[in-house]
Amino acid sequence: MTTDVSSFDQLDALVRRVPGVAALYPAGSMVATVVTATLDAVAHRAPAAPLVHIEQRADGVRVTARIGIGATKSSGDVSGRVHDVIAAHLEQGGNPPVVQIVVIVASVWLNV
Amino acid sequence: MTERTPANRRFFAFDLDSTEGEQAGLNGYTIEQLSDYLDRNRMPADPGIDDSPDCEIALRGLERLRRAQRSLLEQDLERESRRDDSWVSSILNNITLEAHAGREIPLAHPSPIARLVVTEGAVRGMLRETGDRMQNVFVGRCVLVGDVSVPGAPISIRVDVTVFPGENIPRLADQLRDAMYATLSKYTELVVVAIDITVSDLHSLPDASAHEQEK
Amino acid sequence: MPGRVREQVASPLDAAADQVLADRAADGDLRAFEVLVRRYGPLMRVYATRVLGSNDETDDVVQESFITAWQQLGTLEDGKAVKSWLMRIVGRKSIDRLRARRPHVNIDDTDAPAPESHAPHVLAEVESETEALARVLAGLPVDQRRCWTLRELAEYSYGDIAVELNLPLSTVRGLLARARKTLLRQMEDWR
Repeated sequence: MTTDVSSFDQLDALVRRVPGVAALYPAGSMVATVVTATLDAVAHRAPAAPLVHIEQRADGVRVTARIGIGATKSSGDVSGRVHDVIAAHLEQGGNPPVVQIVVIVASVWLNV
Repeated sequence: MTERTPANRRFFAFDLDSTEGEQAGLNGYTIEQLSDYLDRNRMPADPGIDDSPDCEIALRGLERLRRAQRSLLEQDLERESRRDDSWVSSILNNITLEAHAGREIPLAHPSPIARLVVTEGAVRGMLRETGDRMQNVFVGRCVLVGDVSVPGAPISIRVDVTVFPGENIPRLADQLRDAMYATLSKYTELVVVAIDITVSDLHSLPDASAHEQEK
Repeated sequence: MPGRVREQVASPLDAAADQVLADRAADGDLRAFEVLVRRYGPLMRVYATRVLGSNDETDDVVQESFITAWQQLGTLEDGKAVKSWLMRIVGRKSIDRLRARRPHVNIDDTDAPAPESHAPHVLAEVESETEALARVLAGLPVDQRRCWTLRELAEYSYGDIAVELNLPLSTVRGLLARARKTLLRQMEDWR
């Protein structure tokens, strides 16, 4: 399976540009490590890794974005737009099919 | 403090290596008992201790030890509090919101491949911030009661708040409840049927007065 | 009062009671947690340094303690007890470090529980009382130092110390008495 890696790399920047998105958190394996997270575990995390998580499965790609939003709009609106932006971007040529796009609103700031 | 003993007298003339020796030099008491006596501010007065010069010497020694302990602790704390802030940021940078994300609350979207959620933690954060925008209220724990994972299912919310003394508590609770409803309906798709607010007075919390005095 | 240091960033939460902060932090409020870090971090650092006998590993131990605390705050039933709960965490982490360190202790130092406390009789003439106390404390056997630190810095009751160290109450009393006597005896030399 050939994958246009660079198109994944752009996802972080695309998501950050969605109006209402105020923060982008790592969405990868942190959930698994958090239980046992120690300084070492955290230190070993590659800081340069993309924050939007891409999981390649046999049937396609599963994308997860974990965001914080500034509450000018509802979490439904902002997460919907994030979904749409990711979907539109990955529909562009050469990418494996997208089987799921998960958008997690992890924080909301009312004061933004 | 009365000077019942010569200043140049040996600090303790008692044997600390055996209980018998210890008691023999302390009018029948032990250092531990004297230490407990000091803990109680020498109350109720025990003439057997108060009238014994040997006990007095030992008590003075214990007091001196405590003063040294206190100033050691103060020095240490002073030194630690003078440190730059990097240790705080280093701790905060190493913790993640996931630990308290709680349940995932679904958000509607027409696409079959979309799974959009807002975390319980984010909703609690909104509720806290709503309270923080009001004066004289601290929002504490917020609990979402009900099956938040089912879209449209009615849920209720329990909120603990503390208020400053002298506030009109019923009015404050009403204001807070209204503000929370507004926040939730604006930013989430939750169907909230009740917000139960439990109010406690700030001064019923023992730490509060200490912190206020430092201000 | 121990554990209260001046705040470096003003926030209304600075004035909040421990219970409010603990509850909010358990709900995921990072700002409330930060206030707790500032409020009790210095005391935890002092405590860890005392238990460890040196400050080489204090940063790591305190940082680990707060990370553990953040993850486990949901298990703290009474938010008012957050201070002693934090002290317990940092105490355990410190002891874990001591255990890990033990095999590497130089053989010449085997009966010196705190290797950095050298030659008590060759002292600078103008050693302050607090310096002397710090030195004598560092020279106490680990279990005595732990009891003393829990009692005097963390303000534990005898019963809480027994539970924390998993020792009979009588043993705790004995260790504390021994620590106090040693400190008293050493103080004779300070006058």
